[in-house]
Amino acid sequence: MHQLFSDSANREPKGTDQIVLDEVAHRHYRAEVLAHGLKEIVRGLRSNHFDTWEWYSLAKSADTFMVNQQQTTDLLAIEYLKERWKQVGVVPYSHQLQTARKVIFDMQGQAILADEVGLGKTIEAGLILKEYLLRGLARKVLILTPASLLWQWYQELQEKFGISAGIQRSEWDWGFSDILIASLDTAKREPHASQIAAIPYDLLIIDEAHKLKNSSTVSYRFVNSIQKKYCLMLTATPIQNDLKELYNLIALIKPGQLGSYRSFKNRFIKDKRTPKNPQELKGLLSGVVVRNQREAGTIQFTKRIVHPLVISLTTKEQELYDRVTRFVRERSREKGLQNILPLITLQREVCSTFLATALTLEKMMDNMEPEQLSHVADLLKDLANVKQNSKCDALERLVGEIARDKIIIFTEYKASQEYIRYRLERAGYKTLAFDGTLSRGKKQWIRHMFQKEAQILVSTESGGEGLNFQFCHQIVNFDLPWNPMRLEQRIGRVHRLGQTRDVHIFNLLTKDTIEEHIMYLLHQKINMFESIIGELDTILLHLNLGRSFESEIMEIFLAHEEQEAIRARLDRFGDHFIKGQTEAKTSTWDLF
Amino acid sequence: MQQLVFDFFTLLNLEPIEIRQGVWQVQADDALMKELDGWRAQGRLLQFTFEQRAAEMYGADLICQGSYRLNSILQVIRRQGILSQAHIPHEYFHEPSIRKKILGGFSASERAYVVNCSLQYTQYIQLEILVEARGLQKKESIHTVVVDLSSCKVLKFAFPHHLLKAGGVGADAVRKRRCSIKQALITASSHLQGTIVSDIAWAQAAENKLAQEETKLRDFFQGRTESDEYQAKKQELQQRLAPVLTMDALRGAILWVPLYQYRLVVVATSGKEQSKTLTYDPVGNWYLQDLDQITRDAPDRTSTHH
Repeated sequence: MHQLFSDSANREPKGTDQIVLDEVAHRHYRAEVLAHGLKEIVRGLRSNHFDTWEWYSLAKSADTFMVNQQQTTDLLAIEYLKERWKQVGVVPYSHQLQTARKVIFDMQGQAILADEVGLGKTIEAGLILKEYLLRGLARKVLILTPASLLWQWYQELQEKFGISAGIQRSEWDWGFSDILIASLDTAKREPHASQIAAIPYDLLIIDEAHKLKNSSTVSYRFVNSIQKKYCLMLTATPIQNDLKELYNLIALIKPGQLGSYRSFKNRFIKDKRTPKNPQELKGLLSGVVVRNQREAGTIQFTKRIVHPLVISLTTKEQELYDRVTRFVRERSREKGLQNILPLITLQREVCSTFLATALTLEKMMDNMEPEQLSHVADLLKDLANVKQNSKCDALERLVGEIARDKIIIFTEYKASQEYIRYRLERAGYKTLAFDGTLSRGKKQWIRHMFQKEAQILVSTESGGEGLNFQFCHQIVNFDLPWNPMRLEQRIGRVHRLGQTRDVHIFNLLTKDTIEEHIMYLLHQKINMFESIIGELDTILLHLNLGRSFESEIMEIFLAHEEQEAIRARLDRFGDHFIKGQTEAKTSTWDLF
Repeated sequence: MQQLVFDFFTLLNLEPIEIRQGVWQVQADDALMKELDGWRAQGRLLQFTFEQRAAEMYGADLICQGSYRLNSILQVIRRQGILSQAHIPHEYFHEPSIRKKILGGFSASERAYVVNCSLQYTQYIQLEILVEARGLQKKESIHTVVVDLSSCKVLKFAFPHHLLKAGGVGADAVRKRRCSIKQALITASSHLQGTIVSDIAWAQAAENKLAQEETKLRDFFQGRTESDEYQAKKQELQQRLAPVLTMDALRGAILWVPLYQYRLVVVATSGKEQSKTLTYDPVGNWYLQDLDQITRDAPDRTSTHH
């Protein structure tokens, strides 16, 4: 047997960049005779190395078997990945398979995958990539993503598709790796950009492609200069503000699909957000853009069940909360709304733990006038003296009730995270900490430990790489982020494709504090928790607030002291949000 | 599929044992496991099954369409047998009958005598060619083509499998090749283009699509067709959509086919003697060559008595 396999290691792998031995131009096609196989045969003849007739006959049967297998008009990848998907628990959704079929068989590998957030664009792209690899239509592949998603792509391709890609680290990698994942920001810089421009890629995949909406940017020009046979662009928001953005994106992968910009403008733009001849435009877009939406009813997500837990503060805690709030109001009156960020932080922290509040106050003391220092020092002293934390007491009780299953506790602050862990460990629970400063490897390790060993994960990070925890279905929001994007990211860690159980969301909110108002806005008014709002970034852009969501809330809070007045302003703000949501959906999305 | 797998193990002198219904076990050594699973793998007892249920129940490797184990086996098989050889032995043919046939082939006005007969082999190459028609989609097929390496002509039919015996023949009885393997492949490829590629709908569809896309591209560039960017985009279009037919030899086998070479003296009624060499191919049932014709006015009868 050793003898039998002795030569196989030396045989060259078959690639797509073959030497053409003979080329004939026919009327309808070009015929090429490739040299690869011939080279192998001649090598055998020269070295007088003949394999046995039995192996020859068996290999011939294997060739026929493989080719027959590939003649299917459906996706080969489905069969090839069936076993792997079963092992790793991936269930492909019909919209993902349909998208892959459409891109490969109808769109000739050029498409914008514009599914709504959470519908699995990466899975679709991976499926298409795998299919092209299996069919021998792609070998040299480049995947450009934001730097924060490199590892996630690497892991998804490896785990779900058995594709061993490389992550670009040095300038030598461009020529070396056949399937390479790289950061767009790195790739567009020299010396990388000119090296990439010289390589003919079979497939180019660009994640977060909406970053290429502006044709005058370096990123746009760089991507336009890449030689590519097939190209996939992934974005949930192909249009954010202007129809020209969509035109630019399409011009990158299929120039001419929408004509020249002048003709496009004349034929299809009424104003920058409203298309003319939408039906005609829709027809043209359907040849390049695939967009799956939740409303289509194709995807059955599990339910989100919200449990608001209202906690009454002790008299001492309430008094301290009021003092901090008064301090915030006074400072904002003195300093105006320009430097509002530390005050927002302080106001949010006081709803989390006094420990976090104290640390921020201490930092703020560096920039204070001497006459204010004594007042703040007193406040700090009182904060340090509070031994009870009603929120943590409630958390302990809650964990005691639901700890049969794994729990992720989210907090915005590192100090709160440490305090929560201290309290839970003291109560006998095994906890792990997760935050944005951890290296990739550590994040993976902690994820693994959480899945296999620990019961509770206390996280300060709501988004980012390596944070998919579908194996868990209980979230506790120890404090509430004021920005709905961050809230959606938190929930999205567990409530995503692959989650098989209903997700329970426990919100801890302190009575008679700003948290109550935030909860009212996010839950009762815009129903953030139970329904999936969708393209939040688009809605927020559409609202054209002129400042952050947090600042908007803070401004309302500072402008009024009476609870009714705050509630009335939040009502109006909530209505404005819902209107923006409806407009964002009905204006440009009708195109897909 | 099952037959392929069992044949694979048989060729490795391994005998899978059915340990439970539908579950087989075979002792794979280091070399085989490295071929199957990469350089880090080590020899082990390999359990496999063709049924999903049994795979789940006993943890055996599942062999089904698209499964990892089937693919690893197919890959190993396909790396073997790139070049092989087989021959048709002379014993398959009855020489006296051939001699009779040859002598009977002359006209009534001639008489022929066999001076001597030598047994030779000529070479053919059997090529397994992968034809890939790439238009809007890709379609693959495999074709077996046999090329005579002495004339560089394609045989109309492949040699019957049952006539071929594994292995080569002694080097001294072999006729030299007059056609290189490269020429043979090019000849075989032209033959395939002429015969199998009669349906060109795939190419026409791709051509039409390409033309449409090129028009759109020209419109987009609005007359700037000399620019590098336009040329680059046009090239991308060509790469993606232009119909191409590629042919590549996956494997080849040298086939040694027997020849009977007769040295003859042919005597005409006029008494004129002619020395002739006839080579007969019993498989193709034709005279291959007519060599060194020497005409003599004075007959030399003695030569016929050899």
